[in-house]
Amino acid sequence: MFELLTSGLTVVFAPKMFLLIIFAVFLGTLFGALPGVSATMAVTLGIPFTYKMDAVSAIAFLVAIYCASITGGGMTAILFKIPGVPSSAPTTYDGYPMAQRGEAGKALGLQLICSAIGGIFAAVCMLLLSPQLTQAALSFGPSELFAISFMGLSILTSLETDNICRTIISGLLGLLLACIGLDPLLGVPRLTFGTRFLTSGIEMIPVMIGFFAVTEVLKQTNKPAKLQAVGGEDSKTKMSAKMPSLKELFSLKWIIARCSVLGTVIGILPGAGATIASFLCYSVEQKISKTPEKFGTGCLEGIAAPETGNNAATGGSMVPLLSLGIPGGNAAAIMMSALVLKGVTMGPLLLVNQPQFLSATFASMFVSNIIMVFAAIVIAKIFVQVLKIPYSILGPTIIMMATIGAYATKNTAVDVILMAISGLIGFVFVTCRFNSSALILGLVLGVICESNLRRAYTIADGDTLLQATMNIVARPVTGIVLLICLAVLLSPVIRPLLKKKKGAAE
Amino acid sequence: MALELIVNLILLFGCIGFFVNVSTTMPHSAVNELGAEQWPQAILILLILAIGYNLFKYFRNNRREDIAAAFRDFIPSVGRLLKSKLFTGMVLVVVMALMYEPVGFIVTCLLFLIAYGLLLGQRNIPVLLLSSVLITVILYIGFSVMLGVMLPRGQFLPLRNFALFIESLVPRF
Repeated sequence: MFELLTSGLTVVFAPKMFLLIIFAVFLGTLFGALPGVSATMAVTLGIPFTYKMDAVSAIAFLVAIYCASITGGGMTAILFKIPGVPSSAPTTYDGYPMAQRGEAGKALGLQLICSAIGGIFAAVCMLLLSPQLTQAALSFGPSELFAISFMGLSILTSLETDNICRTIISGLLGLLLACIGLDPLLGVPRLTFGTRFLTSGIEMIPVMIGFFAVTEVLKQTNKPAKLQAVGGEDSKTKMSAKMPSLKELFSLKWIIARCSVLGTVIGILPGAGATIASFLCYSVEQKISKTPEKFGTGCLEGIAAPETGNNAATGGSMVPLLSLGIPGGNAAAIMMSALVLKGVTMGPLLLVNQPQFLSATFASMFVSNIIMVFAAIVIAKIFVQVLKIPYSILGPTIIMMATIGAYATKNTAVDVILMAISGLIGFVFVTCRFNSSALILGLVLGVICESNLRRAYTIADGDTLLQATMNIVARPVTGIVLLICLAVLLSPVIRPLLKKKKGAAE
Repeated sequence: MALELIVNLILLFGCIGFFVNVSTTMPHSAVNELGAEQWPQAILILLILAIGYNLFKYFRNNRREDIAAAFRDFIPSVGRLLKSKLFTGMVLVVVMALMYEPVGFIVTCLLFLIAYGLLLGQRNIPVLLLSSVLITVILYIGFSVMLGVMLPRGQFLPLRNFALFIESLVPRF
């Protein structure tokens, strides 16, 4: 463990890498603070910076951007009532009223401290849990690995509970896109229609960049976002983060502790990311509070809960990615693609053969969360100025950065065209209420699911497909995980039916 | 509303076409083997069922008159889309993607930033021009010079020479 820690800190404290981490913190905070640039998009826009880095440095850099963007999102939530990232939405409930009362500095300070504590707690959990999970995963065969990767897909129905059918269609379309190209086991061309462009398959990164960055700018083209900071003694020119007193912090200790644990657990669950964590933490704390009526009026508890929770989820989401090779969310999926692009084989063997991935991720999270607090005052001051940049300059710049990222994947214009097409399709997708995140999840997990399932069938050795299926399901871990998947898949469908029945009976 | 129906129908017919393509062009696997064709076939069957259900829900939730009205308004709405900023934005993105490699990064970036900035309502031309040049330079130096990310110089000789001339002005680290 000590060696692991040392190797991680060596990577992060190398002079060039340390400067890059500081840069990533600033970049991530600014991206996260900009409405319309989600944490996923921030990580996506960070990818071009990693092309010349080695894989370990790349993950450390992207993780720093991810953590910082989640924290940055809370700043606009407090100052402008506009959550920079979706997971900061609950922060607006109490952060904005505090800012209106002239306590923006204190709200920002508390947000940064809680984010840092949540992030560091999750990083420690990741360091402790990932090797254990990896050890368990090493005894898994293809059928168990299929079941686990299918678990990632099973949350499709929970992504948008009021829009399940379209979300499932989106996920299946992602799986179908992953089928294009040479099949992973036999090398037979599939759905290529005789074109050589499709033989190598659909490149994930240009599609992701198109869906997340280009679509968002297109959405803003009709109605560009305008921001106006609230008044008060901290507004605009006097912007600064003022740390809350130790007494105030001490009074929030149990909230911070509970939300750190809850956020980390939510983050570990595939698909349930920072957004669910922050909403859940807020509602749980409101429910168990002795003064629930204070929530929503500008109380410290209402900032501490979601901000601790969403940052804790960032560390949690790295656990399945590093130990099992399954992304815990969109941002993790993009990090996974960036690593795959560098030739890294994701899966349980990653941490056995290259434990420096875990140590570097931990060290990067640890350091960037600490840097965040110290850099807060500077960031808060400059970021208000950056937010004054009109969208007419910012929007096209985002597209150009996205283009650099797409082109640099393989240095081919086909990927830029793929990014543009994905952006247009993404816009139609959003208009028709399909779910882009589900499509990306399907695209990322498609190949992993298929190759493991087909290997499992080869090993199962049944006379017929049905017999082979029975042999696979009969394996204890596979059977149990698949049962859980089934329950997760069906619960959003069954729960409303049960509620309806209960309502009718009453 | 009409767009949703059209997209669903395109997806449905597309999936049926893909299913036929997979079934007819790929080798069939043995009875006890999950072959290369069966995984996409399974996905396509699920997709066809899901899209079918989505279409059923569409017709169940929308009255016939509303659908008819949406279709009557569809052609005028396409006309409105063609005249909108959004469509121009889409065209600009596609044109930028097509000219990125042949024309090169510097010229494409500069032109795109100016064109999209104008589209988004930036009327202060000196600010727009200055910011576009500045952002192009920052992106170029940041990615190409400092990070070593390859950016296209352009395939046309004058544009390539221009890019090389610009590059010669920037000191390499």
